[in-house]
Amino acid sequence: MSRLLSADFAKLKKSRFFWLCIIGMAVFGLYMKIMEYISAQQYLSRSPALHSMLSIYAMVIGFLTAAFVSLFVGTEYSDGTIRNKLIIGHSRAAIYFSNLITCSAAGLFMCLAYLLPAAAVGIPLCGIETADFRYIVSMFLCSFVMTLAFTSLCTLVGMLCQNKAVTAVVTILSVCLLFVASIYISARLNEPETYQEVTALAEDGSVTSTRDVPNPGYLRGTQRQIYEFLDEFLPTGQSVILTRGDQGSPFLLMSAYSAGIAAAAAGIGIFLFRKRDIK
Amino acid sequence: MEYILTAESLSKQYRHFKALDSFSIHVPKGSIYGFVGKNGAGKTTFIRLICGLQEPTSGSYTLYGAKNTDPGITKSRRRMGAVVETPSIYLDMTAEDNLKEQYRIIGLPSFDDIPELLRLVGLENTGKKKAKNFSLGMKQRLGIAIALAGSPDFLILDEPVNGLDPQGIIEMRELILKLNQERQITFLISSHILDELSRLATHYGFIDSGHMVKELSARELDAACRKCIRVQVSDIQTLTRVLDEMDIEYNIFSDTMADIFARVNVSSLTLALAEQGCDVISLTEREESLESFYVNLIGGGKAS
Repeated sequence: MSRLLSADFAKLKKSRFFWLCIIGMAVFGLYMKIMEYISAQQYLSRSPALHSMLSIYAMVIGFLTAAFVSLFVGTEYSDGTIRNKLIIGHSRAAIYFSNLITCSAAGLFMCLAYLLPAAAVGIPLCGIETADFRYIVSMFLCSFVMTLAFTSLCTLVGMLCQNKAVTAVVTILSVCLLFVASIYISARLNEPETYQEVTALAEDGSVTSTRDVPNPGYLRGTQRQIYEFLDEFLPTGQSVILTRGDQGSPFLLMSAYSAGIAAAAAGIGIFLFRKRDIK
Repeated sequence: MEYILTAESLSKQYRHFKALDSFSIHVPKGSIYGFVGKNGAGKTTFIRLICGLQEPTSGSYTLYGAKNTDPGITKSRRRMGAVVETPSIYLDMTAEDNLKEQYRIIGLPSFDDIPELLRLVGLENTGKKKAKNFSLGMKQRLGIAIALAGSPDFLILDEPVNGLDPQGIIEMRELILKLNQERQITFLISSHILDELSRLATHYGFIDSGHMVKELSARELDAACRKCIRVQVSDIQTLTRVLDEMDIEYNIFSDTMADIFARVNVSSLTLALAEQGCDVISLTEREESLESFYVNLIGGGKAS
């Protein structure tokens, strides 16, 4: 498989789309951190925390990996070059793994392309605290494993669908739909348990009384547990959590979910790819 | 005869469509094997099976002595190259980068041979031009160069002259002959352009509806296609007796018809037959081409 990895990484190095993503993420990282610092200075007259805005890339990495993987793997089918690998005697599992590893590495490079410039600017501007550091490291690790889950799912689609355009549409649309679902789940989970009912006199508008009323939209019991599970389980849900920067989030559990998704997608992908007829 | 590739009772079914049906083939070492069949006959399906792109539904094939179910088949595949349908090349890369990529896939330690390989296929002056800007002929030649990386001794070409202009066809033919003669590479060339194939092939296999109809050498085909007089008589035994007496070569293929492979004096033959009570019903001069041989073999009404 080392020969396939060497060929795939050489191809990655020559991929224009990959370098475009890297540059885009770096510029995005610098822009977000500098703009956040400027607005914090302007309106709050203090520096923002280092971790703030540092994980906002989690929101875009799903879309980027979907686009990148569908192009990278799809080219193997559209140019027919996957045949060269099979004809020469490489096993299907090796071909699948090589693509998966290369795409995963590309996804991680894209994460680093955001993080490194953002941290390079953020540390001198915002400073660093021990509490910050521990949180940032666990957040980064969680986002990396989440990226692996995204790439594994997209590789599964890319390796099984022999049409590049269909792969791109399916992966990007799926990420979109999952994001909408995750944002909805997150919104439902963040609904307050109660809301304030205000009674006012109609003529002069003066408030006479307020009281807490239970929110009928607040999720309770098993329904809340299911929503919480989906929020932490889905890679798009994790993206929302990481982007929001919730310090109390179970990063370890989320990473375990992502690792499970990545492993399951790889297993299913290899099983199905071995039986697939290649044209 | 030593065979590089053989297949027995090979079948491939796609849902309700049987693309290959009890197919057999024997490709001799050092030959240029012309694999002839109309569109949809099963040529590409067979090539896909040999290349490991698909698995047969039943039956087996043997490549360099290794059966398709043996683990050793992957080792045998390293000795072959193939261009299946369209050339498998990265369109966003130059010819040299494409070859470097293939060298990495094969695991060749050095790129030193690449300029020679590019020269062999006539692409040494393409420089930084990307493959997407190549002509169809150039893409085909790059596809062959990629298939040649790793020095295979068996090359499968699926419709190699499809879409090429006359000059491209000539160049492709010369390249195939050069590789066959100078490097002793065995070729399996699928095509339905029979005229072109007849200039190259040393052996033929005719496929129809997923089944091998006939396999024969170019010499046997020449014999079958040579100039002759087809004669229809009332008594075939009398005809054979008379032809034997006259020491003339012939071939009987029905109760009343035979082909005579010589310039005969028609009057003498007719008189000789008449003396023994045999009537000549018809006499026609014929010369069969590969095309007419193929049409007769597959069935005129069915052939495209």
